[in-house]
Amino acid sequence: MKRADRVFTVMLGLAFASSAILLALLLTLVPRVEQLVARGAEDTADVVAALVLLLAVCGISLGFVALFRQIVATAVLIRGLVAEKIELPSSVIVAASGLDLDGRIDVVADERPFSFCYWFLRPRICLSTALVERLDVDELRAVLHHERYHLRQRDPLRQIVARYFAAGLYVVPVVDELLTFHTLQKEIEADQEAMRASGDVRSLASALYKLLPDADDVSLGLLVPVSSLSVTEARIDQLVTGRPLSLALSPLSIALSGGALVAAAVLVAVKGGASVAFETLPPLYAVPGLLVGPASLLFAAAVDGGLHQLRPLTQRLFAQQ
Amino acid sequence: MARLWKRRSATVRDIVEDLARTRELAYTTVMTIMVRLHEKGLLERTREGKTYVYRPSHTRDEHRARLSRDLVRGLVAEFGDAALAAFSAELDTVDATHRAALRRLAQKDTREAR
Repeated sequence: MKRADRVFTVMLGLAFASSAILLALLLTLVPRVEQLVARGAEDTADVVAALVLLLAVCGISLGFVALFRQIVATAVLIRGLVAEKIELPSSVIVAASGLDLDGRIDVVADERPFSFCYWFLRPRICLSTALVERLDVDELRAVLHHERYHLRQRDPLRQIVARYFAAGLYVVPVVDELLTFHTLQKEIEADQEAMRASGDVRSLASALYKLLPDADDVSLGLLVPVSSLSVTEARIDQLVTGRPLSLALSPLSIALSGGALVAAAVLVAVKGGASVAFETLPPLYAVPGLLVGPASLLFAAAVDGGLHQLRPLTQRLFAQQ
Repeated sequence: MARLWKRRSATVRDIVEDLARTRELAYTTVMTIMVRLHEKGLLERTREGKTYVYRPSHTRDEHRARLSRDLVRGLVAEFGDAALAAFSAELDTVDATHRAALRRLAQKDTREAR
C-alpha cells in the first residue's frame, strides 16, 4: 500500500470513529434539546446541550456544503470547459499511444495551460490547447502518465469523499490536515509514476518548468502550503532530492482534535448531565469538570476547525479580486 | 499594444500610419480600440493640443505577468476546487530557488545524454 493510500485509510478510519462518537453525542442530547425548546434553558446542562447541538448543525451543514460545492464546481467545469472539447491533436494521439487511455482524453480550446483528471466513477483526463501547444511529445506523455495515475486511483472521487469528512468533522481539525497531506502526497506519487514510466525525470521536470507562472511575483496562495512550501515547490523538492515528504501535523490541531473527541465521549458518558452518576456528584466539581470543560474544548476545536474551513472561501475571494 | 511598446508613446494617427504598412485600418477603428484599451487601463493618455497622446500603462513584461495572473485567477474563480486538482504550476507560487532547481533538472539529462 502506498503512502497516500495509508494516509487516506487513516483519515477515513479517524473520520468514521469521530463520526460515531459525535453521532452518539447528538443522539444523547436530542431529548434534552426537545425539553429545552419546550421549557427554555433551566441549568448549565441545557446551555451545553444547546451549544453542542449548534456545533453539530454547523458540522452537518459544512459537510453538505462541501459536497454540494464540489459537485457544482465539477458540473460547471464540465459544462463550461469540457463541453467545448475539440478533436484530439495529433501530438496528443502520439503521446497517448500505448497508455491505455483510449476515449478517456479530452482536449479543450483554452488559452490557459492546464490538465486535470475529472469525474468520479469513470474519470477522464482534460488537457487545454495551450498546454498541448507549449509541450513537446515527451513532456505531454509525462503529463499523461501523471494524470493516468490520478485516473486509475479514482482520485477525484477520493478527494470529494475526503473533503466531505474534513468539512463535516471540522471539530476534529486533524482530519483536514490529513486531507492536505494526502492531496500533496497524491501529486508526488503521480509525479513518481510519471518519472518511472518515462524512465527519467527530464520530461516531467521540463513540462513543469514550462508551466511555471510567467511572473516571479505571482503570489496567489491558492493551494495549501505545506511547511511554508507551495505544492509545486514541494513537488520540485521531491523531484530534486527524492526524499519522502514528512507528515507534519500541527500539535495544536492534534491536541484540539483529541481533546474534542475525549470531550464528546465524556459528554456521552454523563448523558449531557442527565446521568444518575452525574447527578450524584457535587455540582462544584461535576458542572465544570464534566460539562463546561468538555463543552469548552469542543468549542475551541470548532473555532480552529472553522478557520481551516474558511480558508478555501478566502482563497476564492482573493482569486476573484 | 505591440506598436505602442515599440514607440513608447503615439497618437491615433501615428498608429494608423504605422499599421498602414501592413494593413489598412480606418482611423475610427484604431481610435475605438485605443479608447477601449485606455478604458481598460492598458493605456494612459495625455492631451497635447487637440489630440491625445497614448502610452502603455505597463511594460510588455509587466503586462505578460498581469495577464498570466488574471488567467490563473479566472480559472480558480470559475471552477474552484475542481480546477485546483489541475496539473498546473500556474496555479501556484514558485520562488526563484525552486525555479532554478527545476530548470537545471529539466536540462540536466539532455546535457548528459549528449
